[in-house]
Amino acid sequence: MSRRRVLQGGLAAAAGIPLTASLAGCGSGTSISSNPNELVLWYWNRSIAPTLLATAAKGIPGTDRKLRADVLGGAFDTKLRTSFAAQAYIPDLTAVNSNAALYFPSEDQFFNLDDYGAQDYKDDYYDWKWNLGRTPSGRFLFFPMDTGPTGFFYRADLFAAAGLPSEPADVSAAVRTWEEWIALGAKLRETSDVALATNAVMVFNQYVNASPQRYFDSDDKPLFHSSDSAIKKAWDTAVAAIAAKVTRNLQLDTEQNAAWNSGKLGANIEGAWWMKVLTDTAPQTSGKWRIAQQPGDPGNSGGSFLAVPKSCKDPAAALDFARWLTTPENQAQSYNEIQLFPSAPAAFDLGTMADAGGFYGDQDPLEFFSTAAQKVPTTFISTYENLTTSFTDQLRVVESAGKNPDDAWGDAVAAIDKLLKKRGVL
Amino acid sequence: MAVTLPTGTSTGSRNRPDGVTVARRGLRSWWPQYLAITPFYVIFLVFGLLPILFSIYLSFTDWDGISQIKFVGLQQYNYLIHDTRFWNAVGNTLIIWVISTVPMLFIALVMAFLLHQNIRLKGFYRVAFFVPNVTSMVAMAIVFGSVFSDSFGIVNSALTALGLPTVAWLSTGWGIKVTLAMLVIWRWTGYNAILYLAALQAVPSDLYDAAKVDGAGFWRTFFSVTIPMLRPVILFTVITSTIGGLGLFTEPQILFGAANGNGTVGGVNEAGMTIVLYQYNQAFSQLDFGYGSAIAWALFILAAVFAIINWRLLRDRDTIPAPKRTRKAGR
Repeated sequence: MSRRRVLQGGLAAAAGIPLTASLAGCGSGTSISSNPNELVLWYWNRSIAPTLLATAAKGIPGTDRKLRADVLGGAFDTKLRTSFAAQAYIPDLTAVNSNAALYFPSEDQFFNLDDYGAQDYKDDYYDWKWNLGRTPSGRFLFFPMDTGPTGFFYRADLFAAAGLPSEPADVSAAVRTWEEWIALGAKLRETSDVALATNAVMVFNQYVNASPQRYFDSDDKPLFHSSDSAIKKAWDTAVAAIAAKVTRNLQLDTEQNAAWNSGKLGANIEGAWWMKVLTDTAPQTSGKWRIAQQPGDPGNSGGSFLAVPKSCKDPAAALDFARWLTTPENQAQSYNEIQLFPSAPAAFDLGTMADAGGFYGDQDPLEFFSTAAQKVPTTFISTYENLTTSFTDQLRVVESAGKNPDDAWGDAVAAIDKLLKKRGVL
Repeated sequence: MAVTLPTGTSTGSRNRPDGVTVARRGLRSWWPQYLAITPFYVIFLVFGLLPILFSIYLSFTDWDGISQIKFVGLQQYNYLIHDTRFWNAVGNTLIIWVISTVPMLFIALVMAFLLHQNIRLKGFYRVAFFVPNVTSMVAMAIVFGSVFSDSFGIVNSALTALGLPTVAWLSTGWGIKVTLAMLVIWRWTGYNAILYLAALQAVPSDLYDAAKVDGAGFWRTFFSVTIPMLRPVILFTVITSTIGGLGLFTEPQILFGAANGNGTVGGVNEAGMTIVLYQYNQAFSQLDFGYGSAIAWALFILAAVFAIINWRLLRDRDTIPAPKRTRKAGR
């Protein structure tokens, strides 16, 4: 009896919810800190150098504000979105990861940094990185923090043992195209059972990361249906890599780490931040690794931004902080402290960035990546890229279970189209 | 029983003489008690009932978490009915539930039976079997990931050493399901064994004595005395395992969630995608909160169906004459 009454009351309450919920869309929202001199920043662990945050906590240089940095744990985007949805307790400044495009549909929630003179600083940062911070409607919301130019990491000793070129310049010359890269990998696998890539998804992703064209054009029109699209070419390259046994079908992180340690995997194509990951996961392989040019041009993998939500007390001071945080001196400091790869090329000219200490033999990885970063193509990342995971899901099935690649491609496209229709994109 | 309580209490009979005023005075004089239970109801209202109602509302909308909430009627449910990924998740969840629950409850029963015997270090074993239940699931899923690793795991190394073919535990459909089931078995067997042990200890020893006098052997005693006496507890563990099985999330999330960095949710071909993992993925990774809520309510309906089946089974059992049972054990 009483349960029925509770349900009746509940329905009445549910009828009231739409009213409160629809209020969430408007209004300017409230900030976390009521202290007018304090700007609150949300970031995740290892996204901003602690010593720089400590300095800004005493006072953001060039302003009379102080910074309070709150570190958020996992599910960063969910937490940020929750505060936007509730229009309450929104930070004055927030770090945003390489998935910044997720916020394009909600661009009205952020200040356009152009209004505060952000464009004056444009020339100090890599063009391709700067452009990723601009929404399709032309507003500049995401200030560049760090980047992830990619390179072809490989084990020089294993390459030499297999009778392959092993000096970075020679390896770069031997893998100018993906076809050459696959041919080299096939030879390596044949002679010494060493694989060149963890799995086909890595090949696919790094192909896309290095491509000026991705899944959608800047009007969010899907491009992947066309047979000469970058996505289809990336797919075909990954499938060819599977067929040539260049990939090792390792689908989990733990397996990949073990493989690099054991020497069953002799290479990886990844962003500059992977230098540190490799040093940590395979310390006993120190001195054996080198970095060469990947097939085609280098791409970008990862890298984050700073954004200023509409509820910020002082957007000009927030931009001052972003600018100060990313000066060449401070980017060099961030690199030394937590291996964030700079978004401002001038950071390399200071000569204060520490080298990898012999992990890459006598090669200077900084020199390599500072050159690579110049060549990363300018590209557009769409909001809807998070709906395209079927490509990599299906690629895994091709690799692990031997599914027919053409069927898998068809299934992936059909699944993504279905999702895009559901979301009203198609 | 709860219904008969109020009339029997002394307060009820003392206040009976003059109707309404007494009721009001009674209500006022009980304010400390009402105040004491208020926090629960307030917290339940804010953190329990309100989110539930909001999720009903959300399941009729299209919402990405920030923009305007758009009302779409039954569209999410219509999509759900035709969503092969959802039905795959339902199938996975049921398969994993069956292949984990059946062996788990059997092992737990045998374990409890053995623990009930007069063995040395009884206390130690009881604690040891319960330890998996209080171990962090996140840590264990990571350990399982290494142990069952396709190329570098010790399970496959052992198989190779024995001259057997290796199994791709973490990248084939059945391998993924079996690994998840083993993780569930590992965690919950000890817990169920402790429940069974408690029930075993409540079995009157004269039943065993009578069985012995009648000349029943070990297995006859086990199936004719132990199992019937444990039936209510077994049904209870089946129900709790059903609830746990339908809500399976942590294990696949750690092993095959986006947390492993590759964005492989649910493992290869989504063979380890459970309903709750799919719901979490749709709501919090794909930012489709409307659809996530619809999945949650589909799961609710599924759980309700299973609850009804369980309840029917329980009631049918009650109609079977069981002369030896006390009234308390009947419900």
